[in-house]
Amino acid sequence: MNTSTIIFYAIAALILGAAILAVTTLKIFRSAIWLLFSLVGIAALYFWMQVEFIAAIQIVVYVGGIVVLIIFSIFLTQQSGKEMDKPAKGKMIFSALAALFGTAFTINLISHYGFNNISAAPFNPSVDEIGMQMLSTTSHGFILPFEVVSMLLLAAMVGCIVIAMKPTEATIVHLNKKED
Amino acid sequence: MFSLEGITTNVQDWLLMKFNPTMALAIECVIVILLSISLFALLGLVLVLMERKVAAHIQIRLGPNRVGPGGMFQTVADTLKLIMKEGLVPDKADKFLFNLAPFVVMMVGMLLLAPIAFAKNFQIWDISIGVLYISSVSSLSVIGILMAGWASNNKYSLIGAMRSGAQIVSYELSAGFAVLTIVVLTGSLQISEIVNAQQNGWWIFKGHIPAVIAFVLYIIAVTAETNRAPFDLAEAESELTAGFHTEYSGMRFALFFLAEYINIFIVCAIGATLFFGGWMPLHIGNWEAFNHLMDYIPSSVWFMGKTFFLIFLIMWFRWTFPRLRVDQLLNLEWKYLLPISLFNLLLVAVIAILGWHF
Amino acid sequence: MFLKEYITDVVTGVISLLKGMRKTGYYFTHPKEIITEQYPDNRATLLMSDRFKGEVVMPHDANNEHTCTGCTACELACPNGTIKVVTKFETSPEGKKKKAIDALVYRLELCTMCNLCIVACPSDAIKMAPNFEHSVFDRTKLTKVLNQPGSKIRKGIE
Ligand code: SF4
Ligand code: SF4
Repeated sequence: MNTSTIIFYAIAALILGAAILAVTTLKIFRSAIWLLFSLVGIAALYFWMQVEFIAAIQIVVYVGGIVVLIIFSIFLTQQSGKEMDKPAKGKMIFSALAALFGTAFTINLISHYGFNNISAAPFNPSVDEIGMQMLSTTSHGFILPFEVVSMLLLAAMVGCIVIAMKPTEATIVHLNKKED
Repeated sequence: MFSLEGITTNVQDWLLMKFNPTMALAIECVIVILLSISLFALLGLVLVLMERKVAAHIQIRLGPNRVGPGGMFQTVADTLKLIMKEGLVPDKADKFLFNLAPFVVMMVGMLLLAPIAFAKNFQIWDISIGVLYISSVSSLSVIGILMAGWASNNKYSLIGAMRSGAQIVSYELSAGFAVLTIVVLTGSLQISEIVNAQQNGWWIFKGHIPAVIAFVLYIIAVTAETNRAPFDLAEAESELTAGFHTEYSGMRFALFFLAEYINIFIVCAIGATLFFGGWMPLHIGNWEAFNHLMDYIPSSVWFMGKTFFLIFLIMWFRWTFPRLRVDQLLNLEWKYLLPISLFNLLLVAVIAILGWHF
Repeated sequence: MFLKEYITDVVTGVISLLKGMRKTGYYFTHPKEIITEQYPDNRATLLMSDRFKGEVVMPHDANNEHTCTGCTACELACPNGTIKVVTKFETSPEGKKKKAIDALVYRLELCTMCNLCIVACPSDAIKMAPNFEHSVFDRTKLTKVLNQPGSKIRKGIE
């Protein structure tokens, strides 16, 4: 067992431990923080694999974006500091079973696949290659999904603005007329 | 002046000669950790003193002038006081997160130190995604602040944390765009390549007006990101006592305080690297004689000089401008900075494609 | 037209910010302007402004004479009961009885430096002094008698 493997197991333990704590803790804010640690651990795993770009994106999107969003919504709910009630026994057993089944299913799949040692050169794309691939129109290019996702995000943004916009005089008059 | 160039290779050669590679790596790690911790402590002392002196002179005062010559050891005395002080934890606080928060904030500062090039060949980790790494890791610091605000079980802290969260999340965008303009000009994310691209002139000169605009946007955005006046709503003393660190005292408070100054140093170091060429001496095109003359000044001096100039600029802002209101703060970002930086990025892309920069 | 307004907004904003920075930058580079008083060191040369109100005193001239008639107007004017005028009757050489002060007791710890007593005094017997170093170890030291021992009212003051 060399240093690299030890680091791998340490990171894996961090991810799994934080994940278990995230679902078992009774305080909702703590749960979010444990989720955060779990996601940071995954980013660390990417760093360990030396795919830095993916690791950085993992942090930007999940930690800087999604977890912050979750924490904000926790702040805005009342009683965010209260301990929640312990879940009912039946629920607990059911969720444990669901989790176990999921794990078993995944392990089964993995064992069937059987990883054989890949002797190909380590996969280490530079950032410009990733960028080029994103916008390439050749057979393995990602231009279509990239543009579709952009459109989706644009639509979401426009939607947000429309919801958040204060109605102007004119629209209020217009709405009132409709009601009459 | 003593220069840091080349020291790293000497140390590494010596270590490799004496020990096997794994041991050498471990020893290097220890050296780096010790160096960065002492850098932090030193920076904290120097920057806090500098801030107080600058503030005093801008307000026509003298500032600290009792401890040591010209008040030089004032911050040392303050640190001693903070270390001795009892660290209180509020009764209903979430003890675990309350204790964890200052360390999270501090740790982010330490991680951010990694890709900064302090001098020629003096960099901890020349990671290939340099500036992306920085902007991603710096987004973690907001978590520490939110944690501190929530765990204190205090309404001021909570409001401060919320404000700070909203502020950091929004200003990260324009800071990111400002960084991107330089990335577009350089064509690389790696810090060492960005510095090398400024061999024949810094980007702020080579990049025409758009680079200047990007620099202004960057400075504004990072001032907001580090929660400093005029964007210090998160700790607004007059309305929130101290915002997210109201309940902190003693050493934990010192860590928050230190982290604030470390963050300022880091954003200024990055600003200096991106716009002022990092450790690169002032070179003007192909004017050999002048360039050689400039090369005599060691690269670490160049780097520190530029960084401290930017830090001074940020301090100057702090003691000149009044604080913004929350709605003004968000207006400034979403209605002014963001559209301008988007437009600016487009302009820079055109310049880079047509090769109009020098 | 929206765009024009937007741009003028940005430009005027930046210009006004730069103006502010020029002012503070001027102060930063001109240490001569510093107005800090290095207090305990410059105690000898410290100048307090004329209007500074530190404590109530009763000026005496060279003959140890003051102008207080003992009319108690100051005592009545004081909102805090800071001043107590203790009067006595003196017999003048002509055999006339005349009211005079025995002691004007002033309790510094109760005084708010509101200046009402000074305004009320008909004969300008008391005034505000610019002294501010009032701290003492014993509270009783704050109760002062303003007229000096053996002092008399100046001739011709009624
Ligand atoms: S200054 Fe005001 S409070 Fe003090 S003795 Fe005179 S009237 Fe009373
Ligand atoms: S100090 Fe003035 S007001 Fe007071 S008793 Fe004397 S004369 Fe009257």
